[in-house]
Amino acid sequence: MAKIELCNITKKFGSITALDNISFEVNDKEFFVLFGPAGAGKTTILKVIAGIEFPDKGEVRISDKNVNHTEPAKRNISMVFENYALYPHLTIYDNIASPMRSPLYKKDEDTVKKEVLRVASMMKIDHLLDRLPSQVSNGQRQRTALGRCLVREPNVFLMDEPIAHLDAKLRHFMRAELKEMQSEFDTTTIYVTHDYMEALSLGDRIAIIDQGKILQIGTGDEVYLTPASEFVAKFIGEPEINIFHIDLVKKENQMFAQMLGQEVNCKIEEDVAKVLEAGSYQNVNIGLRGNDLTFSFRKENEEYMNGKIYSVEPIGNKTILVIDVNGQLLRLIAPNDLKANIDDEIFVRAKMEKAMFFNADDHEYIYRHNQNELLGVK
Amino acid sequence: MMAKLLLKNLYKRYENKKGKKDKTLNPFAVNNLTLECEDGEFIGILGPSGCGKTTTLRMIAGLEDITAGEIIIGDTVVNKVQPHDRGIGLAFEDYALYPPLTVYENIAFNLRARKVKDAIIKEEINRIAPLLKVDDLLHMKPGKLSGGQKQRVNIARAIVRKPQLLLLDEPMSHLDGKMRQILRTEIKRLHNEIKCTTIIVTHDQMEAMSLVDKLAIMKDGELQQFGTPFEVYDNPVNEFVAGFIGEPPMNILTVEVQKREDSFFFKIQDADILIPVPDRYCSVVSDGMLVRLGVRPSDVLIVGEDSKGSNAAISVFENLGEEKKISFRVGEGFLTLITSDDKRYKQGDIVKLEVKAEKTHLFDVNTGDKIIAI
Repeated sequence: MAKIELCNITKKFGSITALDNISFEVNDKEFFVLFGPAGAGKTTILKVIAGIEFPDKGEVRISDKNVNHTEPAKRNISMVFENYALYPHLTIYDNIASPMRSPLYKKDEDTVKKEVLRVASMMKIDHLLDRLPSQVSNGQRQRTALGRCLVREPNVFLMDEPIAHLDAKLRHFMRAELKEMQSEFDTTTIYVTHDYMEALSLGDRIAIIDQGKILQIGTGDEVYLTPASEFVAKFIGEPEINIFHIDLVKKENQMFAQMLGQEVNCKIEEDVAKVLEAGSYQNVNIGLRGNDLTFSFRKENEEYMNGKIYSVEPIGNKTILVIDVNGQLLRLIAPNDLKANIDDEIFVRAKMEKAMFFNADDHEYIYRHNQNELLGVK
Repeated sequence: MMAKLLLKNLYKRYENKKGKKDKTLNPFAVNNLTLECEDGEFIGILGPSGCGKTTTLRMIAGLEDITAGEIIIGDTVVNKVQPHDRGIGLAFEDYALYPPLTVYENIAFNLRARKVKDAIIKEEINRIAPLLKVDDLLHMKPGKLSGGQKQRVNIARAIVRKPQLLLLDEPMSHLDGKMRQILRTEIKRLHNEIKCTTIIVTHDQMEAMSLVDKLAIMKDGELQQFGTPFEVYDNPVNEFVAGFIGEPPMNILTVEVQKREDSFFFKIQDADILIPVPDRYCSVVSDGMLVRLGVRPSDVLIVGEDSKGSNAAISVFENLGEEKKISFRVGEGFLTLITSDDKRYKQGDIVKLEVKAEKTHLFDVNTGDKIIAI
C-alpha cells in the first residue's frame, strides 16, 4: 500500500530549473504516467522520488510519511531503466532471485524460492526458470525484468522509458505485454515515457510535463479529448493536430466560424456558442485532429474551403493528406487508396462538432461540443 | 539533370581485417542485387540494420568498392568513375555542415570548389533555398539552427550541384517526430518539384512508404521485393516483407487447416479461433496442413453476437485516442486488431471475432514464401 505525494518540488541544476514547483499525488496501486519531451524533467522526478536526487524545495511523501531524509535504499522502491539489463550468465531463476541475495535485502533461500515461484507464475515464466536470458523471447525477458523488480514487494515501482530503445513494431508488442501484466502488478507504478501511445495505453492517469512544469494531469480521454492547452494538444496524436484562428460571426442568433480567409460559414454548436459568449471570448483558435476534417474534390456546400494538395503520404492502412488552404497546411487522414496529385485542387471542411476551442491570447483550452458526454461526466 | 540508374548483379563482400587469423570469408553484405530505377523516380531502400542498404548506397556513391557487378548511371558504367565525377548529390544522416560558414556559404561550398562564378552561385542558391525553406536562414551559422533546419541545408547543398542522382541516407533519423513529419512532406514536395532521380535509405517503413514511387526491401544482403508501396503492403512476397511493412505489424500466426463438414477452416494454434478458408486457397490446402497465416490488424473485426465468428477473450485493450488496439493472447504472441469504433472494453471481455478471410495471406511454414492462391 503506497500513496505518493510530491508537494511543491523544485530542483535546480546550477542555473537551470529542472523541476519548477511540481505537485501531484499518485493513488495507491495507480499506474501513473509522466509524459513529456526530452529534457522536460520526467526522469528527475523519478530520481527525486527514489531519493537519488534531493529536491531544493518541497516534500516527497510516501504513504503519508515525509521521506525527504529517508535513504534511497530504505524507501522500498524498485526502479527499471531503459534496458532491462538482465545478467546474461544467470538463469531466469537467478536473475529474479538476485535482489533477494544482495547484502542489503538478504533473504534465506527458502524465502527466495517461494518468492521467485510466486512472481514467475504471475509473469507466466515459471516454465523458463532454468533458461538463460538469451534463450527466451523478448517478451519473456521483459517479464523476467519486471518480475525481478517485484520480488521485493516494493511500495513503488518506477519505470524509466523501459521500452523506448525498441523499434516501433516491437514496441507495439511489448506495450501490449506490459499492459496485460499491469493488473498483476498490484503496486503503485510511475512510468516515464515520451511516446504518446504508451502514455494513452498504459496510464490510469497521465501527467504532461514540459520544462519542469506540469501542464495537465488527467485520464487518457481527458488529455486527448480536452487538452489543457494548444501545446498539450500538439503533443498527443499523429499527425499533429491542426490549430488555426477563426473569426466568430453572429447571424440571426446563430454563431458561425469563418476561417483561413475563405468565404465559408461553419455553424458553431449551440453549447459551444454559449460558453464562448459567456466568457466573451473574441480571439479564438480551433484544433482539429486528422480525422476531424473531411475533403472532397468538389465544393459540396458552403462549409467547404478551397485548397490545394500539398502532399500525399500513404503510410499503409491510411494516407496522410496535406492540404494547403491559403498558406495554412492542414493534415488529414484519408483512405489508403486515395488517388490524388500534388497541387490538385481540393475542398476541405472542418467538422465543427469535433473542434476544440482555444483562447488565442494565452492558448489555453476553452471548450468543445458535448464535452461532458465525451468524458462520461454526468 | 536526371538519369536512369541500374544496379546489375551487384555483390559486396567486406574483406577480413588484416592480421585476422580466421581466413573464412565474410558473408556477402550485398548479394546479387539487381535494381532498375527510372529517370526521375524516387526509390526507397528499406530493411533492418545490417541488411546491406547503406552499403548499396555507398557503392552507388563510389565510397565503397564493388566486389562484383555493375552500376550504371545514365549510359555509363561508373564502377571505375571517381565519386566526385559521378554527378551525385549526397545527404547523410549527419549533416556535417561547416560551423564557421554561413548557411549560404555552406550551400555554395561545392560550387566554389568547382570555381563556379559568384553570380551563378547566387542564382542557384536563390532557386534552391525557397524549395527547402531555408531562404530566411542564409545569413545564419549552423550552430543557431535546429536539427530539421540543418538537414534542409544539407539537402540544399546536395541538390545545388544539379546532380543526376540524389542519395539520401537516413536523412530524418536524427529528428524528433514532429520535425520528421514536416521534413518528410518537404522532401516529397521537393522531389515533385525537381524530379531528380532519388534514392533514400531508411529503416523507417512509414517514412519510406510515404515518400517513394517504389520500394526495395532488403534482408541479409538480398533483395526481397521491389514494387510500389501499395503492392508491397497489399501483396508481400514472403513472411519477412509482410511482417516488416505496416504498423502495427501484420498478425502472422501458425494455423492448422481443418476440414469440418465439407468446409476448410484455419484453426489458430493455441487459441480457439476458426477462420473459413477462402475459396481461392481451397485447392492448395489439405486437412491437417500447417501454414503461416498473415492478416493485418485492420482486417480483424469485432462482430455482433449473431454473426459468424469465434468467441475470444480480450487480453489487452488500448485506447490510443483515434484508434483502439485490442489484443488476444495466442501462445507467446497476440492476435491484434485495430478499430476506430469508440466502444470501450476491458481485459477479459468476451467478443466475437471475424477475420476477413479474403484479406488473409498464406506463407509456407518452412520457407516463409507466399503460398500462391489458384
